[in-house]
Amino acid sequence: MPEWPRDVREEVRQHLDDQYQELRAAGSSHDEAMRALEEDLAAVRAETTRLHPEFIAADLRYAFRTLRKNPGFTAVVLLTLALGIGANAAIFSVVNAVLLRQLPFPDAHRLMVIWGDLRRPGVSEIPASAGEYVDYRDRNHAFEHVAAYDTVGFNLTSHDEPERVEGVVVTASFFPLLGASAHVGRTFLASEEQPGRADVVILSDALWTRRFGANPAIVGQSLLVDGRQVRVIGVMPASFQFPDRTIDVWKPIVLDADALSANNRGSHGYTVLARLRAGVSRAQALADLSAITATFKGEYPDNYRNGFGVTLRPLRDEIVGDAGGPLLVLLGAVALVLLIACANVANLLMARAAARRKEIAVRTALGASRRRLVQQLMTESVLVSLIGGVIGLVLAAWGVDLLVAAAPDSIPRLQEVGVDQRVVLFTAIVSLATGLLFGLVPALRSSRAALNDALKEGGRASDGAMHARAGRLLVVSEVALSLVLLIAAGLLIHSFARLQDVAPGFDSSRLLTFRLSLPESRYTTFQKGDAFFDELFASLRRNQEVRAVAAINALPFSGLGGSRTFHIEGREEKRPEDQTEEQLRIVTDGYFSAMQIPIISGREFTDRDSLSRPRAAIVNDALARKHWPNQNPIGKRVSFTTDDPRWYEIVGIVGNIKHRGLDARDRPELYVPYRQPLFDGWTVRPMYLAVRTASDPAAAAAVVRREISRIDRDQPISDVRTMDERIGRSLSGRRFNMVLLALFAALALTLAAVGVYGIIAYSVTEREHEIGVRLALGAQRRDVIAMVIGQGMTMIVMGTIAGLAASLMLTSVMRNLLFGVSAVDPATFVAIPFLLIAVALVACYVPARRATRVDPLQALRSE
Amino acid sequence: MQYVKSRMLDRELKKGSAELLILSLLEDQPRHGYDLSKLIEARSGGVLKFRVASLYPLLYRLEKRGWIVGRWIEKAGQRRRRYYRLTPVGANVLASQRDTWREFVLAISRVTGVEHA
Repeated sequence: MPEWPRDVREEVRQHLDDQYQELRAAGSSHDEAMRALEEDLAAVRAETTRLHPEFIAADLRYAFRTLRKNPGFTAVVLLTLALGIGANAAIFSVVNAVLLRQLPFPDAHRLMVIWGDLRRPGVSEIPASAGEYVDYRDRNHAFEHVAAYDTVGFNLTSHDEPERVEGVVVTASFFPLLGASAHVGRTFLASEEQPGRADVVILSDALWTRRFGANPAIVGQSLLVDGRQVRVIGVMPASFQFPDRTIDVWKPIVLDADALSANNRGSHGYTVLARLRAGVSRAQALADLSAITATFKGEYPDNYRNGFGVTLRPLRDEIVGDAGGPLLVLLGAVALVLLIACANVANLLMARAAARRKEIAVRTALGASRRRLVQQLMTESVLVSLIGGVIGLVLAAWGVDLLVAAAPDSIPRLQEVGVDQRVVLFTAIVSLATGLLFGLVPALRSSRAALNDALKEGGRASDGAMHARAGRLLVVSEVALSLVLLIAAGLLIHSFARLQDVAPGFDSSRLLTFRLSLPESRYTTFQKGDAFFDELFASLRRNQEVRAVAAINALPFSGLGGSRTFHIEGREEKRPEDQTEEQLRIVTDGYFSAMQIPIISGREFTDRDSLSRPRAAIVNDALARKHWPNQNPIGKRVSFTTDDPRWYEIVGIVGNIKHRGLDARDRPELYVPYRQPLFDGWTVRPMYLAVRTASDPAAAAAVVRREISRIDRDQPISDVRTMDERIGRSLSGRRFNMVLLALFAALALTLAAVGVYGIIAYSVTEREHEIGVRLALGAQRRDVIAMVIGQGMTMIVMGTIAGLAASLMLTSVMRNLLFGVSAVDPATFVAIPFLLIAVALVACYVPARRATRVDPLQALRSE
Repeated sequence: MQYVKSRMLDRELKKGSAELLILSLLEDQPRHGYDLSKLIEARSGGVLKFRVASLYPLLYRLEKRGWIVGRWIEKAGQRRRRYYRLTPVGANVLASQRDTWREFVLAISRVTGVEHA
């Protein structure tokens, strides 16, 4: 009876005893004396149900003592809870950072992105041209700032060492709009958007640290960027990573007359950010912008044949994108794991409550009310769950780093993931709820049992039966819940296997790929670039390690792509939407043989497909089928200009390839030779090179670097990866979800197995006497095993059926995460229950074996 | 009637006069809880009666406040009992509570016309 201090308890007992003795001495019978005391006993009971601060402290002390007395029990419970709560805290901290937390900018809810809408299919959400940006900036009434940016790559040279870095060109309003200022130096001035004054850069903290040893004196010094001298004016703090964490250099956009000319109105390259004025709603801002864009068609009829509109979307939504779905599935999965953990702990508590029956009965006899008992038992559960929560939080803080390290690039804002106040609060609430959840049923049950026990000695049968019934129910739910998780994991694993079997349409083995961008400052003409590639390819082909080499503007699995409108000879285009627009690739000769993309008919490009020869084009199978169904496209001609058409004759058809991912649909693609540029003086700057090697492709990178440096020592390469690595990275998002879900499912299965083991082992102990009798009466050991396993199987089969039913309903939420597998995939729904049943059987078998070792004599004698 | 009276008294006791009763009884000599409850019942002619459930927690609270000190004492042939005695702080509290009580009773008498005994 920890609710009163021990002294008070003893005094109360003595007092009641004194009164009883006095009444007996005065001649009352036992019953009369007890009746006289009844009122006092009731008052004691009432008093002990009241909450006094000192009783809570006493409850806590008592709970601590109880936990210390049973270190094994405590360790198992704490481990179970810490894993369950820790997994929840870890996944929640990712959800918190990615989905819940505000962007790391002041008043981030006012930040918007403006997308243009040309009112034609496929171009309904496009970036802005320079002219559109200036119109938004100068004519709006809704925004505090409007800024534009575009991501670009820079060749940066300092200390004679070239490096390819990711960068962005931004308007001067970019930094004030985001509320960011430089860590060292300053950000851009409006005047630095002007031609001739834009040779200034701001560096990222990462680049500053890596290349310049975090020396503040870098500000004011000059670097070579794309072959031009530029001055460093500032360094951003490490926390500033926008548009993303790869960005190392910010440079001003030059808005000169050319950029703003009507000719460039259709060149949509800039992402436009806008900060709403305080008090202006998104709808008001959209109306304001729409009034501006409504005038565009009248002003530039050629550019906006269908008119023009805008979409205004919160920057947060833009960044988070569709990362939410898989994360919420994972959060759901860990919640299930925690539920299973709760069921397990509840079961353990009930098994222990049976052992604590005596203690509880004594306390009941001493007047502890049921409410008071429940409070004490709940104090214990909540204490355990809170300790479990603290350990879980430590595990989570640790696990979050692992999670972030393993997470794919496709999850945004990962750099913001960490354990913050909200994660701690979440964990505290989850722990508390967990404690109440797993503690309440056992507490209610054991206190009820205690009241029964107080009335009669040896209430074991009823108590045991009660525990067994509740325990079996808990185990059935554990089995059902873990089956849901196992099936979800099974579906993802099956999808992943399916995906890995998808052929990309080319041979990805022994293929080294990298990016190379010839700067305009040194490679002023197309011919100069062409000569560079000629020399590089020739020298590489002389190397024994190199089997083939070619280049393309947008390599499969590089994340790059790009479409262009073109005109098919002989087709009429009455309306703007009749224009044909497909993916366009610029490739050097030998590309298809280097990549091992099959030529279905016709030929591939050769070194003779140059400007001195008729222009040639190659289409893939998907494009041929789309635009020339049931016809042979070879010999047909296409042009990228309408006024003065330059015809490209289709000379070959090649196989389809997977470009963005193995799960992508086959897209129509049009290939033209690098040496036959679409327009005069037009050169594709960033190119990807693909080098087919004789052996290890990664090892060939050194050869490539050496050869490039020999030709042009200021020319860096970047994004150096083997093709297999690229394909692997394209799967990393799915792999991440699959591995995590499989991990949670394994945890769930382990917990469920422990649960099954626990309840069976408990029932074997309870039935030791009965088993002993059976054995004494000549039952075979295998009969005993069959009996015990049969009891377990009933629960497992019930749980499996419930789990299958739940899975059928729940797996539809993960339909988007699946590939080539239905959410009710029969193979998974059949195979996984077998796995579960097999594991559960083992969990039953161990205690069943022990049951056969019951010594009949011992069992009989102990009764 | 008796019931109503005892209920009223009970409430009154809980409000503070119970403290006065206990402190008064401990003024002369240390006593244990059972003794205290018997004395209160006897000296009040059965009008005032403590429930065990409230007496001992009250003693515990008074001890926490430092007004009384309890100590387990074993006497030959008897079970050990917890005897409480008044501390100097308790003595001061008693003196001031007595004054307050006296004024209170006087005030009540003046208003109700009931003669002060």
